[in-house]
Amino acid sequence: MTGTGRDPGSGIRDVLLAAVMVPCVVLAALSAWWAVAPLWPPDDVTLSEAIATRNTGEALRLIAQGADPNAASRVRGGLLVNRDVLVAPVEAAVGAQRADALRQLLAYGARVDDHERLVLRCYERTRRDSGVREILDAGAAGEPDCAGVTLPIDRKE
Amino acid sequence: MVGLTSPRVVAIVLATLITLPLAASLYQVPIQVSDSLEPIVIATTAASVGQLMADAPRFSPTTLRPMRYVQARWLLNSVEATGVSYRAVFRGVHVALLMLLIALFVIAVRVRTWTDLAAFTVAFPVLIGIHTFAAMLFEAFPVNHYAEVGVCALGILVLAQQPPRSYVPAIACALLAFALSVVESGALVWIVVIGCAAARMRGITRSTVIATTLLIVGYFLVRHSLGISSPGIGGMGSGFGATFYSADALKARFGEHPLGFMAYNVASGLLSLLLSEPRTGVYGTAIWWKTGTLHPVLVVNVVSSAITTIVIGWYAVRRLRVGRAAWSDADRAFTVCCLVILVNASLTAAYIKDEIISVGGLFYAVAAFIAFRELLASMPARSLAASAAMALTLVLTAGLWTFRDLGVHYQLRYDAFKLRNDWAEVLRPDTRENWPRDPTVLALTRRIRDEAIAVRTASPSFMPRWGDRWWIE
Repeated sequence: MTGTGRDPGSGIRDVLLAAVMVPCVVLAALSAWWAVAPLWPPDDVTLSEAIATRNTGEALRLIAQGADPNAASRVRGGLLVNRDVLVAPVEAAVGAQRADALRQLLAYGARVDDHERLVLRCYERTRRDSGVREILDAGAAGEPDCAGVTLPIDRKE
Repeated sequence: MVGLTSPRVVAIVLATLITLPLAASLYQVPIQVSDSLEPIVIATTAASVGQLMADAPRFSPTTLRPMRYVQARWLLNSVEATGVSYRAVFRGVHVALLMLLIALFVIAVRVRTWTDLAAFTVAFPVLIGIHTFAAMLFEAFPVNHYAEVGVCALGILVLAQQPPRSYVPAIACALLAFALSVVESGALVWIVVIGCAAARMRGITRSTVIATTLLIVGYFLVRHSLGISSPGIGGMGSGFGATFYSADALKARFGEHPLGFMAYNVASGLLSLLLSEPRTGVYGTAIWWKTGTLHPVLVVNVVSSAITTIVIGWYAVRRLRVGRAAWSDADRAFTVCCLVILVNASLTAAYIKDEIISVGGLFYAVAAFIAFRELLASMPARSLAASAAMALTLVLTAGLWTFRDLGVHYQLRYDAFKLRNDWAEVLRPDTRENWPRDPTVLALTRRIRDEAIAVRTASPSFMPRWGDRWWIE
């Protein structure tokens, strides 16, 4: 590699020189592989999952494509709680403590009736986010009575 | 005739393979709302390119960047002419600048032998992995001006390595004029010219020095006549010790006696290039001292940079002691790199941002290549044990830099995710009072937003969570 007529250690030095190249060659090989299987590609998510993962851009894309901002959809385990749950996007926003996402959903057609508002307010009391509370408590008097209210993550599917 | 297995070809193949997915990651990043939308709107509403040039001095009291808006206008015109998306044009230019930077680096280091190639395989990950490179990739105003300055500066270095040509003064002036017209750091292009001439690199003749010097003097006279000052303390937020201060807080704390803070910034800018620490003036080591929390990213960055800087220092001591007349071409290029690193650090006097020292980062990688090559070339003269220890150290260093390269992909996905989410806040139905009144601007904003939203990006929630601690400071 470095010439001919060398000292006895030159072969070993050539190996050492080649070893120095290994990390870069590995990166190049990985890079070539990523042309076939892209590194960290976008995941397919439901609207509720997009909200739960603070992915408001994806949420907007899904709504633009016709996703119903009021329809409950699956949120896989590990995002809100440790198991899969079926929740509405606004419930996912409360669970993820995302006031911006909640505002976005309301702006894009999500409806919250009196019962759902109570559920959301009770859910917020277990997640505690001042921004979310400000939106949900607007116009409401006092603390919600959460006795007998089933939280979204406790619902039986 | 260069064989397919020649070291130069292998270097080009390695650089290409590593760069292509990086370009794909970069292309995934949407046009920014902050920094980009405003100049795009200004460029689209101006009556003509002439008006943009005339209005440029009025956009800011501390900057003169006419080509910022003119380029945006040209790109908008090309969208109209071709019918392709704004994203394709603006992000396409961003990717093209990345490719140009990589190509110029490969040309500048001139891989010829297998020893050169081994040095290249350590230095190329330095180029991509240094924090200033990622910071440069994140920028867009809406065109990446720091990358443009980097291209111009590396272009001068490449020209300086060639035999003298009659057209070099004109090209050097054009590169300098362009760089100065996009961002003030463009003055570094002149520093490269002066450095190459002082190091007696053959491609830069006296006429190039005179022409570019006249040009930069003219530039400062124009700035002065237009009443454009340099940004002072309080123009932007910056770090001090373990804390990042807002612009107002900096002004209140250091505005009366700024010299100490400016010296701190320059020293920190230099340390940041040499050790990857501090970042934006904030020392991760100081945070570690205060909180007891040490993030692995700090260790990886500081160790990889420290070993590389030690090798660069070893080269400087070994080669530059001899008189300038005895310098090799590599010694001359190395001297220019050191000069650019030093001068670039001084540009951080008022405040530090990683992108301000990004040109210094490019030249740091060139200097690293020259130093690694010298170290590897010295192997046959050393004992086998010393050679093995040296090789192991370089494998470790290359491994750490390669790991940092992976982090650039991670950070670009994070950036794409964040910027796309920024667009979700634009033109929200419940904030119609904030929508642009001008129908042209509204239509333009809507189209860029729709393009940004339409392209799916990876969510950090589904990326490895340990990445935050290992790649993000």
